[in-house]
Amino acid sequence: MDPLLELKNLDVAFDTDRGQIRPVRDVSLSVFPGQTVAIVGESGCGKSVTALSILRLIPEPPGRVLGGEVRLEGRDLLRLRESEMRRVRGKDIAMIFQEPMTSLNPVYTIGDQIVEAVTLHQKVGTRRAYEIAEQSLREVGISDPARRLHEYPHQMSGGMRQRVMIAMALSCQPRLLIADEPTTALDVTIQAQILELLRKLQRETGMSILLITHDLGVVAENADVVAVMYASRIVEFATVEDLFDHPQHPYTEGLFRSVPKLQGHKERLDTIPGTVPNPAKFPSGCKFHPRCPRTRQIAATAQPDEVVQIAAGNERFTVMQVCTDDEPVLREVKPGHWAACHFAPNYPEAPVTVPRLEHRREVVPVVLGDAQRALEPQGATR
Amino acid sequence: MTLDAAVSSALAAAPPDAQASDSGGRPVRSLRRQAIHDTLSNKRARAGLVWISIVAFAGVFAPFLANSYPFLIKIDGRISSPLLRHLSRLDIVLLIALAAAIIIFSRRHVRVSVKWAAFATIIAAAALGSRLFHAPGTNVYDTYRQLQRDGKIQWAVYAPVRFSPNDRMRDQPALRLTPPSRHHLMGTEANGADVLSRIIHASRIALAIGLIATSIAVVIGVVIGGLMGYFSGRVDIIGMRLIEVFEAIPSLFLLITFVAFYGRNLYLIMAIIGLVSWTGDARFIRAEFLRLRKQDFVQAAIAGGLPLRSILFRHMLPNGISPVLVSASFGVASAILSESVLSFLGLGLVDEPSWGQMLNQALNVGGAFTWWIAVFPGLAIFLTVFGYNLIGESMRDALDPRLHGIA
Repeated sequence: MDPLLELKNLDVAFDTDRGQIRPVRDVSLSVFPGQTVAIVGESGCGKSVTALSILRLIPEPPGRVLGGEVRLEGRDLLRLRESEMRRVRGKDIAMIFQEPMTSLNPVYTIGDQIVEAVTLHQKVGTRRAYEIAEQSLREVGISDPARRLHEYPHQMSGGMRQRVMIAMALSCQPRLLIADEPTTALDVTIQAQILELLRKLQRETGMSILLITHDLGVVAENADVVAVMYASRIVEFATVEDLFDHPQHPYTEGLFRSVPKLQGHKERLDTIPGTVPNPAKFPSGCKFHPRCPRTRQIAATAQPDEVVQIAAGNERFTVMQVCTDDEPVLREVKPGHWAACHFAPNYPEAPVTVPRLEHRREVVPVVLGDAQRALEPQGATR
Repeated sequence: MTLDAAVSSALAAAPPDAQASDSGGRPVRSLRRQAIHDTLSNKRARAGLVWISIVAFAGVFAPFLANSYPFLIKIDGRISSPLLRHLSRLDIVLLIALAAAIIIFSRRHVRVSVKWAAFATIIAAAALGSRLFHAPGTNVYDTYRQLQRDGKIQWAVYAPVRFSPNDRMRDQPALRLTPPSRHHLMGTEANGADVLSRIIHASRIALAIGLIATSIAVVIGVVIGGLMGYFSGRVDIIGMRLIEVFEAIPSLFLLITFVAFYGRNLYLIMAIIGLVSWTGDARFIRAEFLRLRKQDFVQAAIAGGLPLRSILFRHMLPNGISPVLVSASFGVASAILSESVLSFLGLGLVDEPSWGQMLNQALNVGGAFTWWIAVFPGLAIFLTVFGYNLIGESMRDALDPRLHGIA
């Protein structure tokens, strides 16, 4: 089966007063029909910019797509005219945002807002559009939808507004839903409900979801395939089970160590030392090396003149230099698992391929409200 | 009144339940209704609105309020209505427009766009239809006074003020420049016409100049300011220079120049006032749109594939129009003043009465100060400008907390 959405070597730059910054570099990933792909990473790693550039919502200027392709069923969205792009937005690809409190227009009833989206993308009359709006509100679990249609956003709670946003996004039956941190602004029980709703709707409609999040719990519960982003690049790409069981990149390992666990007792939570580098002044070589425990460990044990072979060219670096001087690219270090680390197993021999995983998780009944349990590596696969 | 006293009286004027409707069991009003409610809960705004309504009523029903022709008359056993026969096209269009507005806008459950479309259609139809209608070309105002004196009228029903604004009382030359009396409540001017009648008829020009000039300014300001704010960057820079150019034009001198070259044309005056006063509105809208375009619901609208027109005017404009509404109500007042100034300088209309032109007449009589010609039109100008300012001020107070509430 062909992927629904495929990003190939996407490069996005912003021109600022202090020079060019590159929030998205060489990002490749693919989303298959009915699949949930999560992009996970810390704030500022470029995951939201990736999502926005799929829909071409980057403000231009200062933003600019330097290169790459965004293929929706083979059609490169970056080459479409703006008028064609408008037909893709909302109809083929819908998006929901982080802040449900401000994502709805305060001056119109929610019915008016859903109906505008419906009549824009479907050839239906106003009356039929109201029926569709009512139906989609019912599908997202809003009680008494006929009455709710005539209410204003300020009469609703955050969770309800996010349901309305989802209803609006799904009213035109998009094939891909981009959810940019859909639950970050909601409290934990509402988070679980919204995620459960997204899973239910995905089962019913067969749409794909590109889930942007920094929450590993959300990833563990929802994703089929995970892309870990760090400092503008995807550093690891694997199925959710594989990633949680066998993380290959030290950054991913660090993320897992920083999640509180229920078993065992610890005085302090592990953290990844340092902060996400400022995109205006990235470190040389591997951008993770100043924070990387693996680099430090290798530097401590290796002989200063030990030489590493870099697969792509014939350049040779000493072990001490390879992390600081050469930036690793995403390689398929084992079948179905991509990582960008010089010291990932098999890295020097691994081929550079486009990350593609047509994997769907087995449906695990998840106990609502017990997101922590799902964080355990065993919990995710069982 | 000190500032503190003004603030406390404004607070006292607001009803205590203005904010309580959200949490109460009653249905929650839309933001627009809430804003209208808050604006009108201010006593001074209501006073202003009452005066503007009086002026508007006088404007629409002017021929029925002040007319030399009787409304109904019986001569030689035949009943007729000379007043209706002498209605002008404008009179008829105005009456139809008012009736249509009341009927259409009092209906609920009809889309606003449909309402406006129906209203515009009716006005256009009325304007076209009235071309078929011909009022008698010449007005001989003293006909019926003469018939009355000759005792030929069996009975007649007159308008409350029995003089047309251009009825120069040719049959009674002694009535020129008489002070207020029982027959002429506000006296007569140099040509013998009744001042009250002229004030009533002049309210049309005052309202029209204010509303049309301000509408022109708001439309231009919203479009240019909206594009500047939405696109920002280069568009914004060019637009800002354009605003600066227009702000540098001295509007009164421009008006005088145009009137000198192209003659006295009310529509030209309206257009020029509108064309030079849009800059403030454009600045307001630009600032609001710069703020709004970063807002999530605008991003969501773009991500939903809505066309630019809908994003700009359906989603952003209603959220950013408040400061323009406030400035527009002050703009109406200043447009009325501009026209009055122009008329006072003798560059306004000649054949139709306007308040400023009447002030000018008070000066022209050669020495003697005829206070009644100066005071009454002056009072009308003052009260109308004051009324608009009161409404604008109250609207500003009502919309201000709302601005923070949304963001």
